[in-house]
Amino acid sequence: MPQRRSWGRRLGVLFILLWSLVPLYWALNTSLQTDAQISSKPAHYVPPSPTLHNFHSLLVGSGEIPSTIRRSTINIFVECTAATIITVVLATLAAYAFARMKFRGRTLLFYAVLATMAFPAYTTLIPLYRIMSMFSLVNTYTGIVLVYVSGFLPLATWILHSYMTTLPVAIEEAGQVDGAGRMQVLWRIVLPLAWPGVVSTAIITFLFAWAQFLFPLVLSSDDSTQPLTVAIAALQGRHTVPFGLLSSAGVFAIAVPAVIAVLLNRYIVNGLLSGSVK
Amino acid sequence: MTSLRHTRNVLLAGALTLVSVVAAGCSGGGGGGSSSASDKTTGVTITVALPTAPPPQASLDAFTKSTGITVKWTNLDWDSLQTKIAAAATAKTYFADATDVDWSRVGQLSKLNWFYPMEKYLDTTALASQMPQISSFSPGGHVIGIPYDASFLVTTVNKKLFDQAGITSMPTTLDQYTADLRQIKSKGVVQYPLNIPFAAAEGLSTYWYQTTAAFGGTILDANGKPQFATPDTPGYQAAQWMVDAIKQGLVPPGNINVPDTQAQQTLMAKGTVATTFADYSGNVGSLYNVPASSSVVGQVQYLSTPGVSGAGPNMSNPDGIGIPVKAKYPAAAAKFIEWFTSASNQADFAGANGPDKVMPGYFLPSQLAGVTELTEKGKLIGGQQLSDLLKNSAKPIFAQGAPSWYPEFSKSVYTNLHAAATGSMSVADAIKAIASTANELSS
Amino acid sequence: MTVNLSTDTRPSAGPAPAAVRRRRRRFDALPYALVTPLALFIVALALIPAGVTIVQSFYRVQELNPPTVFAGLENFRRLFGDSTIRASMENTGLYVVIGVILSTVLGIVMAVTLQRRFRGRSLLIAVLILPWALPGVVEGIVWTGIWDSNTGLLNSVLNSLHLISDYHVFLGQNRLLTIFAIELVQIWQMTPLSTLLILASLQNIPDELYEAAYLDGSSTWAAFRRITLPLARPGIAIAMVQALIATLNVFDQPYVLNGAAQAGASLTEQTYYVSFQNLDFGEGYALSLLITVATLVIALGVVKLVYRPVEY
Repeated sequence: MPQRRSWGRRLGVLFILLWSLVPLYWALNTSLQTDAQISSKPAHYVPPSPTLHNFHSLLVGSGEIPSTIRRSTINIFVECTAATIITVVLATLAAYAFARMKFRGRTLLFYAVLATMAFPAYTTLIPLYRIMSMFSLVNTYTGIVLVYVSGFLPLATWILHSYMTTLPVAIEEAGQVDGAGRMQVLWRIVLPLAWPGVVSTAIITFLFAWAQFLFPLVLSSDDSTQPLTVAIAALQGRHTVPFGLLSSAGVFAIAVPAVIAVLLNRYIVNGLLSGSVK
Repeated sequence: MTSLRHTRNVLLAGALTLVSVVAAGCSGGGGGGSSSASDKTTGVTITVALPTAPPPQASLDAFTKSTGITVKWTNLDWDSLQTKIAAAATAKTYFADATDVDWSRVGQLSKLNWFYPMEKYLDTTALASQMPQISSFSPGGHVIGIPYDASFLVTTVNKKLFDQAGITSMPTTLDQYTADLRQIKSKGVVQYPLNIPFAAAEGLSTYWYQTTAAFGGTILDANGKPQFATPDTPGYQAAQWMVDAIKQGLVPPGNINVPDTQAQQTLMAKGTVATTFADYSGNVGSLYNVPASSSVVGQVQYLSTPGVSGAGPNMSNPDGIGIPVKAKYPAAAAKFIEWFTSASNQADFAGANGPDKVMPGYFLPSQLAGVTELTEKGKLIGGQQLSDLLKNSAKPIFAQGAPSWYPEFSKSVYTNLHAAATGSMSVADAIKAIASTANELSS
Repeated sequence: MTVNLSTDTRPSAGPAPAAVRRRRRRFDALPYALVTPLALFIVALALIPAGVTIVQSFYRVQELNPPTVFAGLENFRRLFGDSTIRASMENTGLYVVIGVILSTVLGIVMAVTLQRRFRGRSLLIAVLILPWALPGVVEGIVWTGIWDSNTGLLNSVLNSLHLISDYHVFLGQNRLLTIFAIELVQIWQMTPLSTLLILASLQNIPDELYEAAYLDGSSTWAAFRRITLPLARPGIAIAMVQALIATLNVFDQPYVLNGAAQAGASLTEQTYYVSFQNLDFGEGYALSLLITVATLVIALGVVKLVYRPVEY
């Protein structure tokens, strides 16, 4: 059977490569051209005189657009990292309780958590905005991170729960017999065993946080908190749109998740599948 | 979130949760949160959020030196800025110490009591004689924003392209103007002579208001009732004229998805089109004559609005600046506004005293004294003509001020005109839909 | 890649291990301590907001028209009476149909490509998941560079190949084309996950089934139809449900590529405009609730229609 389909597979492989890479190549290609080259007809399929000028001005240039992009890059890192750490810690604790302990209300709470995943996230946008403004958390890192954590906790808990239930109970029981407390069992035995699951959860949470747009669009009001995604979309509406800067900022926003996806794809795949299929 | 698990159980649990939540009967209030406004005016940092680039750093530094107030400038695109202001106003939450009061949002924002009355801080009566546009910012007797420029809508033409088509005298009526467009197209000077930004966005609404004025009409009456419902009205004719222009190939087909500023930048500034009927009054100086962003330097000039019979009016769309009630330092913000809108600074920003003091994109002071200084020094691009237009023909789009429901009305205008331009809707149906929105909102 | 999972679809809240059962006699505070932070987050920032949405969708909540009063079904009546919203309902319907069908078909094609091990397969999977990992907004901007009517890649390529003489307007002119072009961007983002979900099902199919079929003289196509497709149904069902949720809630791509234009505006976009432009929160809540209910009902329908448990 492998032989039978090999030409078909070659076509399939070619299709996957083109499908994934052509749009990304085009973004990169545009970012390496000057504004004048970008608007030529027909388009330059390779940069005629590749220039890092756009990236250079983004990274060290003065002026308001580069400084906005740099600031929002810091913002997106702060927000995504904080959201990821808090989510993973809280989800690990909760998943351990769900997987290994029995307590009243366990099933109800577990399903309530899962049920929130079936809500379209945008359903809660307006009330969340009003709750955040009630506590003066609009346009703060705290506000944005809290919303991210609440959005990503259910999936994170679910993925970690799935991992932990596949671990053999016997080892933990042995640990407990040895007199270790349950938190020590979690720390010394469960966590090392479930580590791939923790890494998967962290990566997926980080990528989800990186991709957010509508929530931070509403919850941040200026440079001090708006993440890169919001800053880039806002550039489009400017009086004079710097196309070169725009596309290089876009490449910037793509680079981080792209590197993560390529290098750590094994974790992503396993995490997504255990979170979705089991 | 991307994934869904075992659906049946999830649904069941979801239903249970919903029931329990409803039973709990929670209702969220748009809570207040106490105001922490301070009247301090020295040693404070205020945030100023406007849809424009800041004045030169040296000017801001001079302001800081003389007052002890540091300014943190936030430049946001117009659409997101309006959304953020509305969101902050409804949630009664801090957004900035001084921010944009667009003429079109005056009604909505004043109804939300979102801005301090400026007469609390400045002598607005004295200012009014120097700033005619201030009336557009005074709904219900309170001045909620101080106009910082004197923007209005004006026709721009690329003289060189008109010349190439053999047009020697500039059009003064709409009929002539339309005939000239045809001539430019038929002579093959450019394929598509006219720029209309047909993307479904605020710029399309504005374009229609100005075109309606050129046809000799208004949009809404004093009670907010539509004045454009029947085919014999100027508003109807203006819509028909705009849609015909794209259908007859006078407007680039790609414009269907291009918003105002982008069209000015990529078409008008590149000489791809020959004219913009409702352009922004600063564009010759701040865009078309700037070599870095334009290939038509020295070719574009302003034109008195071609009307039904002779020059028509120019609709004014001034930008204002006000102090939200949740500002942290309202008094300091007022000091900044006073400085920012003073005649001498405005003249500086517009280039009266050399390029070092220019604020990017700024061109026309709201203070008459600022305009006079500019004209006398010969620094006003478009010069005498522009200031004549300002004095003689600029008038507000809504005589009574923009209604509080303006944003919803404008969305109906631009989505329906856009749909008519794509051909998915007739002009008659588009007008009917816009009129019924206005009727419903004003009742 | 090791896809270490079964298609057991029961969320195993799992039998509590014996070690835990022994302790049941006295009150045990630890599990409560462990789940409390999670519970606080879920209640305060998910369940209460959802409850607010549900309750207040039956109230008139207009910032410009206070106070808030009970309005029954008034918000819903106004939604269905608004031609812009109705147009967005149709648009969203088209996004869902196009998105679910295409992402599933492409997902099956890609999953079948990856079904057997071959050299470079894990690298290909890394490339495959790239579009999934990127922010939707930036993808919208990237694809603007492809669809653009002046400088876009597609126009340029078609023109260079002499397939078109004039540059075409892909976005905003023709409604179906606009929706297709926007949805393709979302499909680009969703398909990797669909592929992985379907692939997980395919990996559970024993090779012997194919070997037996080929011994019986089946063609590749027949084997695909009689073995692959039926046995991949659990994965396909889940892939379709995730695509359904994503497409019913599409926001970033139409917002960036087409703005508020009626020819492509989605229902979530309208929620945003109704709430934050018109400041009519009651109507915004009602619209959110409608989208939620539609999501749940249709998701259930898809599962009933497509999902079949598979036993080996």
